[in-house]
Amino acid sequence: MAKVLLIEDDRETAEEVVADLRGRGHEVQWADTGPTGLDLARDRSWDILVTDRLLPGRDGLSVLQDLRSEGVRTPALVLSALSSVDERIRGLRAGGDDYLVKPFAFAELAARIEALLRRPAEPKETLLRVGSLELDLISSTAKRGGREIELLPREYRLLEYMMRRPGQTITRAMLFQDVWNYNFVPKSNLVDVHIGRLRHKLDGPGEPSLIQNVRGVGFVFSPDA
Amino acid sequence: MHSLFKTTAFRWAFAIALWSALLSLALFAFVYWRTVTFAREQLDHMVLHEAQFAAAAPAESAHRLQMWLMEDLHSVRFAALFAPDGRPVAGNLGYFPAGLPTDGVARRIQMTVQLAGQSVSEELRAVAVRLDDGQRLVVAHDLDEVQRGRSVMMRALALAAAPTLLLSILGGVVLAAQARRRVSSVEAVLAKLMRGDLQHRLPVNGTGDEFDRLSAGVNVLLAEIERLMDEVRGVGDSIAHDLRTPLTRLRARLERSRDGARSIEEFQQTIDQALVWLDQTLALITAVLRIGEIEHERRRAAFQPFDLAPMLREVAELYEPTAEEKAIRMTVDISARDAVVTGDCDLIFEAVANLVDNAVKFTPEGGAVRLGLQEVEGAPVISVEDTGPGIPVQERDQVFKRFYRSAPERHIDGNGLGLSIVAAIAALHDFTVRVVEAPGGGCRFELVCPRSPDADRDGGRGRGARRIGTGDGLLACRPART
Repeated sequence: MAKVLLIEDDRETAEEVVADLRGRGHEVQWADTGPTGLDLARDRSWDILVTDRLLPGRDGLSVLQDLRSEGVRTPALVLSALSSVDERIRGLRAGGDDYLVKPFAFAELAARIEALLRRPAEPKETLLRVGSLELDLISSTAKRGGREIELLPREYRLLEYMMRRPGQTITRAMLFQDVWNYNFVPKSNLVDVHIGRLRHKLDGPGEPSLIQNVRGVGFVFSPDA
Repeated sequence: MHSLFKTTAFRWAFAIALWSALLSLALFAFVYWRTVTFAREQLDHMVLHEAQFAAAAPAESAHRLQMWLMEDLHSVRFAALFAPDGRPVAGNLGYFPAGLPTDGVARRIQMTVQLAGQSVSEELRAVAVRLDDGQRLVVAHDLDEVQRGRSVMMRALALAAAPTLLLSILGGVVLAAQARRRVSSVEAVLAKLMRGDLQHRLPVNGTGDEFDRLSAGVNVLLAEIERLMDEVRGVGDSIAHDLRTPLTRLRARLERSRDGARSIEEFQQTIDQALVWLDQTLALITAVLRIGEIEHERRRAAFQPFDLAPMLREVAELYEPTAEEKAIRMTVDISARDAVVTGDCDLIFEAVANLVDNAVKFTPEGGAVRLGLQEVEGAPVISVEDTGPGIPVQERDQVFKRFYRSAPERHIDGNGLGLSIVAAIAALHDFTVRVVEAPGGGCRFELVCPRSPDADRDGGRGRGARRIGTGDGLLACRPART
């Protein structure tokens, strides 16, 4: 599916990640040090880089900084055991596109990689349409079939975020970070309750559900027809 | 031995000795100078007096000089009267001393005089006066007495120098030894402290001197360190307990499944449960690290002015659906008009969210949670009230301590760190957090947020604070996302 370069110094972790990503159909190469990772990453054939933050000899962030200064724009996901907000900001500033704190669920990693691979284009369209659902970005109104759906501002933003990523797994943490802009650890059922409300509004009697739960991971917004 | 030279005591002794020696020397120099000056002035006075007396009556001058010279038994007086052509008329000087002005001022001169039939070069204090008839008169006295005085003084110095120096050194040693003794007693205690016996304290002898004040200060510091160490130990025990509990369960469950599980489903159940317990453990670690991060105060740089009111509405909006699921009525009551404070809005949001999360968690179905923002004595006060079971008076201070959970709460999910995070965030902002009884019997948490004196009243709309309009008038500040 995609060519992934993993830079990770811990063999056990790397083996697990490689096995999981291969299982999901990705082609993965593993580099165990910063310098070898940097050399491999310069070859621009990768679809995505996944790099550890702390590497012996060469820090993952400095590898990223070098790549970015050389004009390598391959999307990069930083893995780190450092969880503080400042570390996250530093990781993104160094050229990372996303930052995932260890330990993580493989489903979360896979969802993040998928999100980076399928980044939505800059919004130009004024109408989003997924299946029978329409979202008018000018008038901020939603319609399913012919039925108008009233949305609160937060629900509107939640829906817009999901509609831009149809068929893609969206984790609770992603929603919390991107829709709510919160940096702290979400209480997992908070997001579920908001999604539950939105789903209730979207699905009329007898209509199939547009938002499906992905067990243990999050949600997926998929067209009904 | 070389360590002796490094000790403060030695340096002090040396400095004290040097100082007293220099002081003695300076005093001696002063006395020496005054004594010599006095002796010379005595001579000057004498020769001037005699010159004036002799000059007063020009006809008598020669006679008066002769009389003065006759009184001299030790050949220390010299005087002469010179005719206008320079010839000596009377007295014991053979010639008029070259270069001596006839102005009636005593000066030091060197000239050859006849003493016991011999020509001797003699140092004299001399004065010359010109008489009305053109004659000149010289009166002089030798400086032997002054020289004698000088040598007596120098001998006295030589005699006194050694004892003075010795006494100085002794004084220095005694004073330094005294200081050294106090330092030694402190050192002895410090050695014990460094070995880890934190219950020892520096000696305070009650004199109230600098040493005492210093020791007292260090003792206060030690008490604080001991208290913190105890707290850390307590926290360590709590963490160990809270980590071990789920890990022990996890281990037991894995072991049991390894031997006992018979179907794929059973294994999957075990694994799912194991993941839940692992996540609990990890959440605990994250929360502990989070408190550490907040307490390190590294985030003060991100402080900026922002308005509490929209933030409070946002928290309510976040929790409203969850509350509704439990049939809890959530209300927001904002009466403070201008609630701009300086701080990290993300952290304050987190603190309030934790309070609301708690309130929703502990309020039974059909209850109510009230968020309030009032102004009390000029300071905005955020309040979160619930209709839950409340907290007993004696436990109210405890709830903000790490890992504290009121006993009946133990069955409710949570790691007991939510309120510790609130307390850490409040402390970082110099805000006060407290818990009182709500009118309905539940809990009322209050976060008193005094405005910092330099807070920009209009700051929420100013530079730095980025606000995101959410379309319904909700405004909140957010750090720029990178």
